[in-house]
Amino acid sequence: MPEEELLKIEELSKHFGGVYAVSGVSLDVRKGGIWGLVGPNGSGKSTLFNTILGLYRPDGGCIYFNGRKINNLSSHQIYGLGIVNSFQVPRLFFQMSVMDNMLVAARGHQGDGLFNSLFLRGGWQSQERELIDRALEFIELVELGKMVFALAGELSGGQRKLLELARGLMAKPRLLLLDEPAAGVNPVVGKKIFQKLQTLSKNGTTFFVVEHRLEILFNFASWVYVMDRGKMVTQGQPEKIVDDPAFYQAYLGAE
Amino acid sequence: MDVNWAQVLFNSAITGSLYLLGAVGLTLTYGLSSFPNFAHAEFITLGAFLGYTIGTQLGLGLPIALVVTFFTAGLVGLLCYRGIFQPLAKRGATIIHLMVASIALSFILRYSMGAIWSWKPYYFASSWAAFDVGPLRVTGLWLWLIAIAVGLAIVMHLGLVKTRMGKAIRATSSNPDLALASGININKVILITWFVGAGLAAVAGIFRGADTQIWPLTGWDIILPIFAVTILGGIGNFYGAIASAFIIGLAENFGVVGLMALGLSTSYRLGISFVILIITLIVKPQGLAMFFRRA
Amino acid sequence: MDLLLYGLDLLVFIGIFGILAISLNLEFGFSGLANFGKVAFFLIGAYTYALLSQIGLPFYLCLISGALVAAIFGLLISLPALRLRADYLAIVVLAFGEILRLIVKSEAWLAGGDWGLSVSPAISITGVSPRVDLLVNIALVFSCLLICFVVAQLLSNSPYGRVIRAIREDEVAAEALGKNRARYKVQIFMLGSAMAGVAGGLYAQYLQAIVPMLFLPIITFTIWIMVLVGGPANNWGVLVGAALVEVFERGANIAKDYIALPIDPSNLQYILFGVLILLVLFYRPQGLFKEIPIKTRALEAVRHAREQIKGEGG
Ligand SMILES: Nc1ncnc2c1ncn2[C@@H]1O[C@H](COP(=O)(O)OP(=O)(O)OP(=O)(O)O)[C@@H](O)[C@H]1O
Ligand SMILES: [Mg+2]
Repeated sequence: MPEEELLKIEELSKHFGGVYAVSGVSLDVRKGGIWGLVGPNGSGKSTLFNTILGLYRPDGGCIYFNGRKINNLSSHQIYGLGIVNSFQVPRLFFQMSVMDNMLVAARGHQGDGLFNSLFLRGGWQSQERELIDRALEFIELVELGKMVFALAGELSGGQRKLLELARGLMAKPRLLLLDEPAAGVNPVVGKKIFQKLQTLSKNGTTFFVVEHRLEILFNFASWVYVMDRGKMVTQGQPEKIVDDPAFYQAYLGAE
Repeated sequence: MDVNWAQVLFNSAITGSLYLLGAVGLTLTYGLSSFPNFAHAEFITLGAFLGYTIGTQLGLGLPIALVVTFFTAGLVGLLCYRGIFQPLAKRGATIIHLMVASIALSFILRYSMGAIWSWKPYYFASSWAAFDVGPLRVTGLWLWLIAIAVGLAIVMHLGLVKTRMGKAIRATSSNPDLALASGININKVILITWFVGAGLAAVAGIFRGADTQIWPLTGWDIILPIFAVTILGGIGNFYGAIASAFIIGLAENFGVVGLMALGLSTSYRLGISFVILIITLIVKPQGLAMFFRRA
Repeated sequence: MDLLLYGLDLLVFIGIFGILAISLNLEFGFSGLANFGKVAFFLIGAYTYALLSQIGLPFYLCLISGALVAAIFGLLISLPALRLRADYLAIVVLAFGEILRLIVKSEAWLAGGDWGLSVSPAISITGVSPRVDLLVNIALVFSCLLICFVVAQLLSNSPYGRVIRAIREDEVAAEALGKNRARYKVQIFMLGSAMAGVAGGLYAQYLQAIVPMLFLPIITFTIWIMVLVGGPANNWGVLVGAALVEVFERGANIAKDYIALPIDPSNLQYILFGVLILLVLFYRPQGLFKEIPIKTRALEAVRHAREQIKGEGG
């Protein structure tokens, strides 16, 4: 199948003082499907995601999205290009309702501008109705239908993770970075979510997923990258990678 | 215009010493507790009033006034932290809430002092003989101030480098998480810092009061340079504070010469700190901290 | 009847400070911006009004210019600090207020120095009683308050209001969801400063004389009390806060003539303000009135439909 290159990373490095959280990592993510990123705790997966997202400035290397270099863009511009992320530790707007959290993520809401919000009220009101319907779909997907108007701060840990995921989906991403989307979520819902991601991945969204529950991830991912101590140690199809010594080294060596 | 440049230089050292004493507590508590304590100005004012009461009204003289003021104001600073900021932070107050609380505290202290000592300015009974050293006109009071500032710098430096507590303070102010992980008693570090910081601010207040006047705004009058020192030096950075205190001292004293040459009001000397503050934020918000990584 | 005049005068003050409270609420309550120099923009509005009215501009142009000049200064002063943490902005604007007061104090040729400027009233009708005069002022002040209030309400109950609240809650997350936080913050800061500028103009024309001493940092603090007590992110709440604080100030002023206190009442008043703030921060940080969730027509329709389903199901 003809796969277009979506995300390309070359020799990326990010240090925190003396900690080499990510060092010399290269990888490719092509359009479509679910791509996995695994590795033991502290191997630099979240740091890699946050650097792609523009939250950290890289100390070296390059990030390309659709052939365009995005190293020096700020994170709202990166969102504009279509990269969205769901954080490992949910960063919700806790004093706002579940629905409002979803609507903030909506792309191209006319009422987001100062002038429009005051003077073109008709325009965004009807758009808002459609956005609410779309938000409700995702909210139902992650089984938060009973909490639509509850404050995000009232959700349990697992529910927060689910809302974080739904909010990412709401943003119509071309590439969605998911940092452990199923952590703390009951396994049945976790599986259901991955099934949904698989369906969505056929309609133009690509997923790049960090997940500690390898048994779920390996069922759905088409390609898996393995990180250890800031370096990319191996990669491959899930069914092949389980036989790769480097994969075992990464996990067993850390213990 | 005839300018005695040597005198301007000497005055810069005086101003720098004053601002160093005034700002060191602010910058360290700011670094450790992660919010700027606007009531720090009131510790300066408190020092001026206490110094006046002890030194002039009770007639006990400067050395005793310095010591008693340091410990009394230190205790007040400690109580403010223990009674207000620490419990608020425990309740999950945001940085804005902590700043508002410090302004509230500032008003409580300021108007309490207004109630106790009244808003009528006092002046120290001046008994400092001025004498000439070469081209310089010097008074004993200024020699005291500079000696204390230099002493502070040496003691703090040795303390920071040599003692366990000092190493703890350095570790904590640059990275509280790290300190926590390495088993340093961060709480004790913070308490000591609030105590010493408030005490030193009060000592600065005595000198400021002796130089100008003693009234409930003695401290607030120099809040701008104190904050400029803190930001320019890098928040929480002791060595940065030393450098920036003297930079601002120089800028102010040479600036005043410039203002007079331009025929502008010398009260704009406060504006010099403001300009330095703004330039720092635009050019390098971390201030001079980059030159003093290890503090 | 003296008492009536007194009450009307109080209303004018409530109106002017209501505008200031609404504007700080936009900045702090909705957007999480710590404007510790509110008084600076109030001062700019007042002095702009005074200077322009002296050269004979009609009052509405003076008011509008005051708002514009305040907004421009809001832009200039906030730019270096807005991309940094909340505390930097607080320090810079507070310092800015002090510097401005210094300038109007020192530049006698421009701003009258310590003696200040005299201002002609916005609308003067010859030969009417002070009561009518006050009523005219109340009408003017409350029309301005109404405009500011409506703008604040419309903004906070729109997608824009959703974005600024999101920035207040977690600016990094909001930015990662495509919101250019710097732009939103600058806009809000300019808008808030413009409103404060209008309040300053109204203040100048009402007092008919302004001096630097009117623009001490205590004004900023008073507005913060109004917002914190009333309830951040609740436009009705902060109006109640403004009224309560003004009434308290007047009450304290009256009381000091009748009650013998061991402490000078003007000191006591500010000590009590400080204590009040600490109590609010400790025991009721959300203020008297809680934040009202965003209301848009579409949201209300959905909420309504859901409640009906729930009602039928149960
Ligand atoms: N902001 C930071 N400041 C300092 N060090 C950091 C920071 N963020 C991450 N690190 C360090 O970088 C390394 C990589 O961390 P990272 O969170 O990226 O790992 P991870 O693979 O996501 O781990 P986990 O599976 O536990 O989520 C760790 O050693 C961590 O302590
Ligand atoms: Mg992680």
